[in-house]
Parts: sequence; C-alpha cells; structure tokens
Amino acid sequence: MPSTSMALTPGLASFLRSLKTNPIDTSIDNLISLLKRRQIRHSRSCATATAYLLLRVISACRTSDAAKLIERVQSVGRRLVAAQPKEMVVGNIVRRVLGLIRDEAEDDREADFNLSEASESQPQTPRALDGSDRGSSRPPLSQPAPISMFSLLSHPEPETSLPGTPASASPSGRLLGHVQSKDVRAEVLEGVNEIIDELGQVDDQIAAYALDHIHSNEIILTHTSSTTVQKFLLKAAAKRKFTVIHAESYPNNHEATHATVSGNSTGDEEILSTESFQKPLIALGITVILIPDSAVFALMSRVNKVILGTHSVLANGGLVASAGTRVIARAAKVHQTPVVVVSGVYKLSPVYPFDFDSLIEYGDSSNVIGYEDGDLVDQIDVQNPLYDYVPAELIDLYITNLGGHAPSYLYRIVSDHYRKEDISF
Amino acid sequence: MGPKQKGGGSKQRGNAAEEVEETLQAVVLADTFETRFEPFTLDKPRCLLPLANTPLIEYTLEFLANAGVEDVFLYGGAHSDQLEKYINASKWRSLSSPFKQLAFLKSTSTSVGDVMRDLDGKHLITGDFIVVSGDVISNLPIEGALTQHRARRAANKDAIMTMILREAGRNHRTKSSSSSPVFIIDPTKDRCLHYEEIDHHSRETTRLNIDSEIILENAELDIRQDLIDCGIDICTPDVLSLWSDSFDYQTPRTQFLYGVLKDYELNGKTIHTHIVKDHYAARVRNLKAYDAVTKDVISRWAYPLCPDTNLLPGHNYELRKGNLYQEQGVTLARSCVIGRRTVIGQGTSIGDKTTVKDTVLGRNCKIGKNVTLDGAFIWDGAVIGDGTTVRHAIVADNVQVGSKCIVEPGALLSFGVKIADGMTVSEGKRITNAPREEDGGAPESEPEVVGEGGEGYEYVPYEDEDDSDTESNASSGLVYNMAQLSLSTDSISTLSSDVSDYGHSRSGSFSSSGGDDDEEHFVHDAATSVYDSLRDGVTSDVVQLELVSLRMTANASDHQVRRAVVSAFMKRTQQLMEGGKAAGDIVRELFGKYREIIERSLFDRDRDAKPDQVDLLLLLQQDLVHRNRGDTVLLFVAKELYDLEILEEEAYEQWWDDERSSSTDEMKQVRSQTQQFVDWLANAEEEESSEEEDDDEEEESDDE
Repeated sequence: MPSTSMALTPGLASFLRSLKTNPIDTSIDNLISLLKRRQIRHSRSCATATAYLLLRVISACRTSDAAKLIERVQSVGRRLVAAQPKEMVVGNIVRRVLGLIRDEAEDDREADFNLSEASESQPQTPRALDGSDRGSSRPPLSQPAPISMFSLLSHPEPETSLPGTPASASPSGRLLGHVQSKDVRAEVLEGVNEIIDELGQVDDQIAAYALDHIHSNEIILTHTSSTTVQKFLLKAAAKRKFTVIHAESYPNNHEATHATVSGNSTGDEEILSTESFQKPLIALGITVILIPDSAVFALMSRVNKVILGTHSVLANGGLVASAGTRVIARAAKVHQTPVVVVSGVYKLSPVYPFDFDSLIEYGDSSNVIGYEDGDLVDQIDVQNPLYDYVPAELIDLYITNLGGHAPSYLYRIVSDHYRKEDISF
Repeated sequence: MGPKQKGGGSKQRGNAAEEVEETLQAVVLADTFETRFEPFTLDKPRCLLPLANTPLIEYTLEFLANAGVEDVFLYGGAHSDQLEKYINASKWRSLSSPFKQLAFLKSTSTSVGDVMRDLDGKHLITGDFIVVSGDVISNLPIEGALTQHRARRAANKDAIMTMILREAGRNHRTKSSSSSPVFIIDPTKDRCLHYEEIDHHSRETTRLNIDSEIILENAELDIRQDLIDCGIDICTPDVLSLWSDSFDYQTPRTQFLYGVLKDYELNGKTIHTHIVKDHYAARVRNLKAYDAVTKDVISRWAYPLCPDTNLLPGHNYELRKGNLYQEQGVTLARSCVIGRRTVIGQGTSIGDKTTVKDTVLGRNCKIGKNVTLDGAFIWDGAVIGDGTTVRHAIVADNVQVGSKCIVEPGALLSFGVKIADGMTVSEGKRITNAPREEDGGAPESEPEVVGEGGEGYEYVPYEDEDDSDTESNASSGLVYNMAQLSLSTDSISTLSSDVSDYGHSRSGSFSSSGGDDDEEHFVHDAATSVYDSLRDGVTSDVVQLELVSLRMTANASDHQVRRAVVSAFMKRTQQLMEGGKAAGDIVRELFGKYREIIERSLFDRDRDAKPDQVDLLLLLQQDLVHRNRGDTVLLFVAKELYDLEILEEEAYEQWWDDERSSSTDEMKQVRSQTQQFVDWLANAEEEESSEEEDDDEEEESDDE
C-alpha cells in the first residue's frame, strides 16, 4: 500500500500512514522535510502531525526516566521548530507534551510525600500560580467546556467533574490512590492521545458557543476559509437566520474561500476529511455575500460582528492571522464593531511578539503578479505576506474551546497550559 | 501497508487507483553535456554549483521528492566522482530519504542520447518516468501533468511523452534570449506537432519551416514562442526504445523531439505538452539563466524553494525585510550597507563602509572595507580586499581578490584564483586555476591577467570554427548588458564539439546554417534506411537504388551520402560484434557484399588528390570514436577497403597526414591501431617503387 501514498504528492495523510511503518528517526526527518516544503501547512495539520510524531517518539523511547524523556522530546521539538519556526503550533504541542511529562514526573515524586498531597488536592481555592496549575491544566481540555469566560476564573465545575473523566491523567491518577509503580510513559502517552483528541474536537467545542454570540438577523463579516469559523457559523445557522459577508482574502486563500462559500470544496487537501462532507452555509438558507477585500471598510458600518479565524494567538492577546485580517480589524475598530476571534487553545502560543516582522511568513510572489509578466518580474520587488500581525487592542473577544476570554486574559491561559521552564525549550 | 488512515484514505483523488500500480521513476541528467558553465565546470560538476548557496542538484531532487518520485536514477558525466561523493553524503541517501532508491549510474556517455540508449540497455525503467536535467528548479506539483499523461496513454498507446512547459511572456529574464524554442501545438489535444528553435543571431533561421500538412490537417494551431522549456518530460518506456532506434540523436529537443515529430508518419508516436500557467519551473541552462533564477529564488517566485527554507541541513537562513536572507553568525561592520535581495552565509564578515546589494555571499567570505558588491555572486570562502569593486560577476570558492581591484561585469573567476592588488579584471574575462587540458600539469599563472603574485590564467573556451565572433563573446557568461548577444546554443560536450570540428556533424548548434536541418534529416533517414537493408540482407543493388532515390529527393551532397553510409555500416558492424562475431569476419563479409555502395559514393578514382576517399576514412574514424573497440574496427575496415581496392594507397597517405584525423586525443586514439597498417602500406609502396620518396609523416602529424 505504500505506493498509493507515494504516487501522490506527500502530505499529512501520507505522513500519518508512513508513521506506523517507518523507523522513528526517519519519521522525524520526514516531518521536518514536509514542514520545510510546506507540504504540511495550516495550524491544525501541523499540530496533528507533531502530536502523532511525539506519540511515536515517546512510545519508542524505552525509558521510564522522566528527565531522559524530556530531553528526547526537547531535542526532537527543537528540530521541528527550527524546520518551520513560523508554524508556532508545532512549538505549542511540543511544550504541552513536555508539560505533561513534567507533571507526571512530579506526581510520581509527590506520591512519595503523602503530606503534601492532602493539601494539594484541594484546588477549589483560587489557584496559586504555580502549584496547582499543573494539576488542573490538562483535564479541562477534554471536558465539556465551561460556558463563559468568567467560569474559568471561578472554576467550580471542572474540579467536580474531574474524577468522572476516565482519561484525565494526572489528578485522577493521584486521587485514585498512589499506585507506586506508575509508569510515567504510559501516563504521558495517554496525555498525548488526549491532545490528539482535543485537536479533533476543538472546532465542535468552539462551535458550541455559537448561539451565545450570533443572534438572529445579525450581519456577520468573516474572512478566509477557516473551518473553525465555518463550523461556528454553521452551528448558529441551524437555529438562527443571519447574513454573512465573506471577504475573499485574495491572493493566497481566495480560491479556497470561493469554494467554501459556494460549497464545492473538494476536500481541501490538508484539512481533515470530515469537513469536505460539510454543507455550505447557503444550504442552510443563510445569505452569504462574497466581497473583495477592498470593500471591507465600506461595508463595515452595516456589520454587527466580525468573526475571524487565526493562524496563531500570541501571549499578549495579539494574533497572527492570514493577511488582510488587520485591515478588517482596523476597520471594525473605526466603526466600533466587535471583533471576535475563534481559535483552539492549541494555537495559543507563549510567545511575545517583540519583533512581529519575524513571525510573518512571505509566500509565493507569483500569487500577486503573474510570473509570465517578464517586464514586471524583472523590475519590481513583489512581497506577498501570508500573515498579518493584529495587535491585541483591535480584538474584543477570543472564543476558544475553553470559552470566551478577553485578550488581556490570555496570559493566564498561557501559564495554565505551558510550564515556565518549557517556554523556551 | 496496513489499513488506511482513517480520514486519509477516503480522501484520495479519483485517479489514485491508477497510480497505485506503478512506482514513479525519474532520471536525472546530472550532466547536460554542455560547456556553458566553463570555467567552473573544469573543477566541479555543474549540478553542484551553488545557486543562492544551495547546490543546484538539491533543488532538482527536492522537486522530485515533491512530486512523489520513488526511484531516482542519477546519470553523472564529468566529475561524476565528486557528484557521487556529494550524493552519498547527502540527506537523500539517509534512511529518511523520500526516495526508495537512488541509483548513481556512471556512463561514458557524451550526449543525452547516449544516456538514454544506455538506460534502455539497462532495463531499469518499468513504467512511466520523469526525465529532468540536474539543474531544474521548480515548485510544480507534477500530479496534474501525470494524470493527464496517463489518461492520454490509456486512450492511445502512442502518446509517448508529455513535456512540461511554463508560460511566460514575450520578454522574460528566465527565458533564453539567444535562441527561443517554438512549439506548434494542437490546442485541442495538447499535441505538439512541430518544434524548432529560432536563433536570434542568424538572419536565415528567423523563419519557421512548417510542413504544409500540419496546417492543412489541423483546424486549430497554436504557434507559441512564449514558453519556458523547463526540461521536465514525462516519458513512457517507448521513448527509450525510440532513442535507441535513432542512434544518431544526441540532444533531447533539437534532434529527438524534432525527429520524432517529423517522423510521425513513420512511427505514429505523438508527443504532448502540458502548459502550466502558475507555479515556478525553470532550468539553469546557462549563466544568464543562473543569474535570473537566482533572482527568482531570492524574490520568492519559486516559493517554497527559498533560501530561508534551508534545504540543506545545517543551513539556517532567516528572511529579513527587503528579501535579505542572513544566516546566523554573520559579522557586519556597523557602517556597512546591506541592500535588498542579498543572501549572506554563515561566518561571512563584511567590513566598514562596504555596500552590498543584489548579491549572494557564500559562507566564510571575507569582504574588506569600502568594497562595492553589486549583483555579484561570491561563493564560499572568497576573500575580497579593501576598496575593491565587483559588479555582476561570479567569484568562485576560495578566490582571493586583492585590494583596490575592479572586477567588471561578466567576469568569471574560477576556483582558487588569486588576483593581485590593484588589478582590473576586464569585462567578460574568464580566469581559472584548473590544470590545463593539454599537459595536465600545474598551470602557469599569467601575470598580465592576474597581476604579480596572482594565480590563474585566462581560460579561452573552445569554440566551434563556425561560431561567429559575437557568439563567442556572448558565451562569456553572465551577460547582463549584452542581451542582444547572449549565449550560444547548445554546444554539447567537449568531445562531440571537437568532433564537429570536422565535417558537419552538428554539435547541437542547430541553427548555424540554414540547410543544416535538411542535411541532418537526410543523413538520419538514409542511415536508417541503409542500416535496415543491411540488417535484412537486401542485395546491394536495391540498397543502392534506395540510397540514390533518397539522395535525389533531399538533394544531398556526396559527403552526406558517405556520412549516412558510414554510420549505417558501422552500426551494423557494431551490432554483429555484440552478437559475438569476430570483427575481421564481419567487416570482410559486410564490405564484400556491399562493396558497390561504398564505391559509388567515391568519385576521385582517377585524380591525384583523393578528397572523397579521405573524407570517407575520416568519417569512419570519427564514427568509430564513439563505438566500442573502434580502433580495432578501424584497422579491419581500412585493410578491407584496401584489399577490395575501394581505396588507394594515396588516400591512406593523405588521410594520415590530414590534420583533421589527428585533431583530438580521441581521434588519435582510435586510429592508433591502424598505424601498423599504414606503416605496412608505406613500406609496401617503397618496395614496389623504390624511387618514390617516402616521407615518414606519421611522426610529424602526431604532435601538434
């Protein structure tokens, strides 16, 4: 069967298939070259590939010593990040896995000290920054997420439902009594599997908030063919009637956008297959208006809400999203239109944009000007940024799979999800 | 292997089922048998020359990996040991290589045609395969073209080849400006009907010769000159056998493509085109293209094949504003100015008040103070002294340029050259430090070129005699401001261009004279026809009749007739020898039986000068240069022709003295065995008529 995958242009699907059969080092090199060649792109695909690869790395690593495991994951992670520093989700997933290992290692150690355990297992009190974070950071991801952004602060529900979730790794392990010979590796693998599950469910979890944010007869403006946004809108469309104005995001994503709007997307290569069976909004009776990007400002005065997808979210609440997003966010600011960003938590990156130029990838110039126009090609410099940096002050609300958050609150989620020592691993 | 990944399997395109059956193979012609990158190719194979600090071959292999190719056959030519070493150390050989097989094939080929025939003999190709030269840079996903190709082939077995062509406007820097290919295409079937190259130098060939049938038979025709021929062909195995059948084809376009299209009536094979309107595809076919493609790569037209993709492990380029790519560990003086479109490799240091723009700097270069670099290509480890100016020139690895020098546009400084302080390297000069071809010893430096204490000498490229001055001028490389001149067309490997010195065996300079096409085709047709007859054992009368009629229709010269005859005879001889027969017997039999054919191509029996007979011998010698055991065969043939009284002693004498017969090492070598025969002949003559003066010219003619 490998010939099937090889005859096709390699991509995420062929990578995942080859992962099972290839030796681990081959798979690492393979992913590196796929990332370099941009054959795996889009945050979700990168995250999925990274998670599966790390799963393999950990299961192949025959040691129960957490320090060695961490070292191994770090070294693999460093290579992956170096291969494509602009796909920040790769780093995020590596950090989360590192965090998992550290948690397990510390839980192991704690199990020896029963004293400390008693006080630690009572995290109802507002959590101290360091201690209890690691206990409760992972579990909420796989749970039915809380309803509003404030619920995270008070955080009553997750803790009660904790023992109920069978897969929840660290706290349940701890509560179930201290199994002395706990295999760190097995626990970590379970945790990574959870991350993979999370990646699969994240859009649906986000979409669950749709009805809170989209009301009848609203006019919603969106941009790009982001599946997260599409699912979000579809969920609302099932119950409510509203109008969507879709900016086409020329030149890098307009074809996919057109396909999304008209509903004949033929399985957008990288994005997982379920989306290709998805009905377009128009099938649900929603009016969708496709506009060129230049018309955004003119129409903004009539728009009730802007909903944007993103490439990655930064710790200061700013975001890196496909080019054109910043223009839309600026226009929304002028008209005081609320800007809502939908994004999985896995896109949230503990990086502060000190130099946001370095986060922006420049793509194929020929999307802007045809290469066949020899005179122009010879005489002008063409730049085609794939991403925009949107500062935090232009965003009003983030909706993640954990709920809604103000941009200024994101630093807390960052510290919940990533260990300080892993931020620059 | 194993069940399909959940979502992944169901998502495959409809054509997946077809593609399951075959692994995709590719043939990389690492040597294109051209001399356009001299003097650099004296030291290094062409596909290892760096483009934006990454060897050319990396881009090509990356392209193949992108296309999902599994088996790669790499044909090395000159310096193939270097290439093999490089490939063995590269990531393509590692376990994680996307290729299941990466075979390095060595051959003594001297042209693309030889490679193809060699490949045919090896029976390595199992299905459709891609042929690319080792200098292709492309980000094109080949799937679309491949699907179309397979669909066509499924419908019609005779659709043997699909060429991938990139559309480009009328003027384009990446297009070759000296000669432009013209494709005549039937747009309804994407079929290529006719191919020709227009040479912008010569007036005569600015016209196309289109067969009237093409115009009459097709309702719609596209005549296109705006295509970049990126040298990517998808072929069926039939292509190889076609190459083998046409044993005198050498170049893939001007001869093979042209010939196959012309012979459509005979073989019924069709060749198709796949014209792409997006994505990048280009070949670094000459230095001008080198410059253009470098610019394209730096300006991200070939994305994701950009310096910051870091194709080579160990590279860590980062993109800064203004298409400035910089690796870590670069030392820049505070007052230096780095302009746009610049690539700077690791360990390079740039001194105070130096300005750099549009330049590629390799690793570990040392650029002094007050230097101006504009449009220069500085390869690894070069040192440039204070106050020097380099514009639009290539400075190769480990070159040292002294201070206060001026390197003018188009200058090429090859590996290890040293230029003393204060020298001016004038426009278009090529300086090398490679061992000279003739003696192989350490080269002497030419102080007038490189200054006192410098190392290197001016490289004078070998030029065909018929090349005009402008062309030789133009081929001096990175022609920037000489667009009207530009580079000569293919001048194939040194060997065959040497051969072309004599006779009109065209060394790929396809359009050097107007009638060349016809001649070439007559020779080819006639040789094929004679060869077929020899093989089938047809009587000499019939062969002769056929030859005469061919000659009449094509209005061919005697020389061409002889050429065709020699080519056919030698091919037949060769074939019989491979069958295990002794060379002597074969020659005796063959020439005995078909004596008449040869005899009737010679018209100088009764004259003193024997130009025709000499010509015949030279043609034989030249033909045998390429053949297995050519020297032995030449001896037998010479003897046989003498015994049969087809040729006379004088002819041998004149031939031996003729400088063309000893013009190159190969020619000398092939006739070495015949020496004894000629000696014997001279002695016999002596004995017969002792008063005749015997001048022993062999010695003289040997060294020149």
